Amino acid sequence: MAKIIGGIGTSHVPTIGVAYDKGKQNDPAWEPLFKGYKPVADWLAEKKPDALVFFYNDHATTFFFDLYPTFALGIGEQFEIADEGAGKRPLPPMRGNVDLSIHIAESLVNDEFDITTFQDRPIDHGCASPLPLLWPHAPDWPGVIVPIAINVLQFPIPTAKRCYKLGQALRRAIESYPEDLKVVVVGTGGLSHQVHGERAGFNNEEWDMEFLDLFVKNPEELTKLRHADYIRRGGAESVEQIMWLAMRGALEGEIRELHRNYYLATTTAMTVTLYEPA
Amino acid sequence: MNPQLAGLDDLEGTYVFDLHTSNRAMKLNRFLWKMIGTEARAHFSKDPEQAMTEAGLSDTEKDLVRRQDWIGLIRAGASFFVLEKFARVAQRTNLEVYAMMRGETFDEFMATRRVPECR
Repeated sequence: MAKIIGGIGTSHVPTIGVAYDKGKQNDPAWEPLFKGYKPVADWLAEKKPDALVFFYNDHATTFFFDLYPTFALGIGEQFEIADEGAGKRPLPPMRGNVDLSIHIAESLVNDEFDITTFQDRPIDHGCASPLPLLWPHAPDWPGVIVPIAINVLQFPIPTAKRCYKLGQALRRAIESYPEDLKVVVVGTGGLSHQVHGERAGFNNEEWDMEFLDLFVKNPEELTKLRHADYIRRGGAESVEQIMWLAMRGALEGEIRELHRNYYLATTTAMTVTLYEPA
Repeated sequence: MNPQLAGLDDLEGTYVFDLHTSNRAMKLNRFLWKMIGTEARAHFSKDPEQAMTEAGLSDTEKDLVRRQDWIGLIRAGASFFVLEKFARVAQRTNLEVYAMMRGETFDEFMATRRVPECR
């Protein structure tokens, strides 16, 4: 039986990918960010999970607004990393596990989570920005990803509570998979930031810290917040933090925070955290 | 009104991208979105006017694109996430676009940041 062994919360700022590709790991302005991922990468290297399930959002790359899925699960042996306007990144395609993805799709749908599925489509920085900071990619990625995209771009988007419930349903899916796989669930996005309008550049460190504390101790409280609450407190695009709640739902119960790195350099509070069931 | 979004009316400088906006600005957003394709980029670079006409942009939208009026495009209903694809074609970084949306010079904007060298 497959098992969830931990959870990771991470920003997916596209600039992280740009800095990574340009080799800025030791640049003094970027080092605090890259160093902050090291303990998580070390934990992954030690625990050797077979799969990372990514709750992430597409940024109108894989899908366009004419047909924008609320929840969508990727199925394939591999997932190309998308060209988002600046050309292809020098990374191998991410690897997938067709049987695992299909099992999760079947389990979710039979569990009344009628998820969309997609195949043979490239995936953008929602997954690809943090992945190389978590896993090495030479000669190839050490495991597979299961990408689960959540619409946080075009309102109506799912409620915080619905995301939490999706995580709970994912757990049932994982735990009913017959193979003995080790799975880590990743929730991406945030923390505070706004990237559009005159309010671009908004941050709220106090709220970010409150979010991180509630996330461990009282996630129920976070599932009660409305989108407007997230937008006001953390900036418009920080509403994507509801994807962390999907990860939290998959880790339901008591958890321990093993690591936290918070680096608010320019516009997004770039954060990475690591959790294990208590 | 979507109850999840109620109570944001007094929040200045924020333009929620919902289905009303998306429906109204579908052509503009599709035009910006297509910049993820190498052919669309090449076509736009070669003949921007024809590319915009083919995309069905209104005269107002064409003017906003010509002038790279980022805040104007947001107000016209563009999603930032397709706008940033056009920013790559226009050789602008997101940080530069943020500064322009705020009506600031790049240096003014970066002076408000904690680690301005982080770019």
